[in-house]
Amino acid sequence: MSYLPCGSYFDSYREEQKWWRTPFIKGKMVLMVVLALALPYLVSGEWMSVAYTINYYILAALGVQLLIGYCGQITLGHAAFVAVGAYCSSMMVLFLPWPQPIVDAGLAYPISLICAGLLAGIWSVLFGLPSARVKGFYLIMTTMAAQWVTVPLVITQYVSQIGGRGHYFSLPPGTIKVGPWLIDSDTKIYYLSVFLVALCLLAMGNIARSRLGRAWVAIRDNDIAAETMGVNIVWYKLLAFFVAGFFGGVAGAFYITALSFVSPEHYEWFFSLLWVGIILIGGVGSIQGIVFGSIFVVMVFKLLEMGVLGLSGVLMESYPHLGWVTTKIIFFKEAAFGMAIIFFLMYEPNGLAYRYWQLKNYFNLWPFSYTGKGH
Amino acid sequence: MSEVILEAKNVYLSFHGVAALVNVSFEVRKGEIFSIIGPNGAGKTCMMNCINGLYRPQKGTLFFKGREITHLSPHRRAELGISRTFQKIELFGGMTVLDNIRLGRHMHLKSGIISSSIYWGKTQREEIRARRFIEEEIIDLLEIEAVRNEVTGMLPYGLQKRIELARALALQPEVILLDEPLAGLNLEEVEDMARFILDINEDERWKVTCVLVEHDMGVVMDLSDRVMTLNFGVKIAEGTPEEVQEDPEVIKAYLGEVEDLYVSRR
Ligand SMILES: Nc1ncnc2c1ncn2[C@@H]1O[C@H](COP(=O)(O)OP(=O)(O)OP(=O)(O)O)[C@@H](O)[C@H]1O
Ligand SMILES: [Mg+2]
Repeated sequence: MSYLPCGSYFDSYREEQKWWRTPFIKGKMVLMVVLALALPYLVSGEWMSVAYTINYYILAALGVQLLIGYCGQITLGHAAFVAVGAYCSSMMVLFLPWPQPIVDAGLAYPISLICAGLLAGIWSVLFGLPSARVKGFYLIMTTMAAQWVTVPLVITQYVSQIGGRGHYFSLPPGTIKVGPWLIDSDTKIYYLSVFLVALCLLAMGNIARSRLGRAWVAIRDNDIAAETMGVNIVWYKLLAFFVAGFFGGVAGAFYITALSFVSPEHYEWFFSLLWVGIILIGGVGSIQGIVFGSIFVVMVFKLLEMGVLGLSGVLMESYPHLGWVTTKIIFFKEAAFGMAIIFFLMYEPNGLAYRYWQLKNYFNLWPFSYTGKGH
Repeated sequence: MSEVILEAKNVYLSFHGVAALVNVSFEVRKGEIFSIIGPNGAGKTCMMNCINGLYRPQKGTLFFKGREITHLSPHRRAELGISRTFQKIELFGGMTVLDNIRLGRHMHLKSGIISSSIYWGKTQREEIRARRFIEEEIIDLLEIEAVRNEVTGMLPYGLQKRIELARALALQPEVILLDEPLAGLNLEEVEDMARFILDINEDERWKVTCVLVEHDMGVVMDLSDRVMTLNFGVKIAEGTPEEVQEDPEVIKAYLGEVEDLYVSRR
């Protein structure tokens, strides 16, 4: 049987609680993995950086989704934790006196990646502490404090001064080695990102369907009832901040492979907002939503950029005196992002993940399709 | 006479100087159905909230199985074995029925962050055990097979009340606080719910002590072993249903609501 039949057809709870319950779905997953692995052979090199940027956004938005979509704790300072991860990892790789065997085995960076996650997690818990007392709007303010305290103050004024460089830590290509592989090309960065995304999404999906994930959603839906049912809500909120920070730290530590230097402007407040925007577009409270949102945002940016560059090329050629137009439309990117969010909030508040779910249902029920008009 | 499982001593609670409970004392015995009645605003829900820890009384003490619980937080009291339903439904609206009930089993599950993220093995076995318990003991008992995968926010009111009971039972509590479980139900649903309450109270596998707050006097008098009456936060009577019904103080408190006392459906 390749489709999920109508009604419950499972012989055991184990079967019913599985993720991939039919050969059809399993096949789809295998296809996705194969596609992800074969991508470098299918598209030109220019698109590799687009692909790993998508993966970077997925990793970063994962923590935002956990906090906002699952636990209901709105955060507007997630770039801070990504920055902590990036700085932790790059400083460990650059400055720690690693024993030669570890360097040879290519373990320095993987170890630093895990430490980056842990440190970012702890840093995130520090700024999550107010969530024990305040909710909603006030909590948003405290998470914004995380951004302002971490990036412009601690990182720019203090951390960046370490080593006397003053502004940034440069990471010449070939600094980072994972096992036997030197991460020195876009394709390798891409494969590393695929590996990390797969691991993190799998972990997140599993957590979401176990007691921790349920406790988070319960806190989001009704914290008083959650507490009455035996959920220690302060503990679980802090745990959510920790795990979200951990994913953020991993994201930051990953992205240093793609940067030639780490500097505070990679972690500006804009990114905190961008990642919230991604989950709004993709769908709040859905893991697929993170993927859809990231793909959407990065692709829109990329296409706009290509469009603008192409347009300006044409303009410059035929009407040289109109060059100023290019400088104006270069800022369309951010504006388009803002418009996209407004559009989704108004017309598709459930995000792309919901559309996808509808589409899937449509084909599952085919030819007796009913997509529920009126949504 | 069986032992006391829950005891309140001189519980005093006020909001900005307005007293909601005035030195209320009572004992609930193991295995009984103990009802709290009283006119609107008498302080019944406040009493429930004090027992389960959502409100902290300014004065007085609460004991559960001989242990003082006055200063414990609600989740600690849940872990000790006190569960409840709410007057105004407080389900997790975005979760499915099954997940709502699973959440009720939260404290019986143990897997931590690492084993949860791997899922395979320990967490999976634990989840399946929880699922079996929920299916065989709760869903079967409360007859909610048909809606187990529905999102609760969409369900009709009567079913939501039933799912609240299911979630509260998933804790396998020793005492369950039922705050107006029959309010807003139709006649058939009232009969079902009354039967469920009797079931969980009498069935060997459950034997849950019930503290019941209810306006439906017919059901209260039928189900209860003992009844306590509150009026303006003051305890005015306690005894068997017959004794309380005859009590002149109680009749006076309900004056103007006489039909409430004698007619079972409003
Ligand atoms: N959080 C609160 N803040 C202020 N006053 C409150 C609060 N909760 C309850 N009260 C007051 O305490 C009194 C008792 O309320 P309670 O909800 O316990 O009544 P009740 O007996 O459950 O009534 P009902 O039958 O209508 O449910 C009421 O006068 C109410 O206004
Ligand atoms: Mg009440």
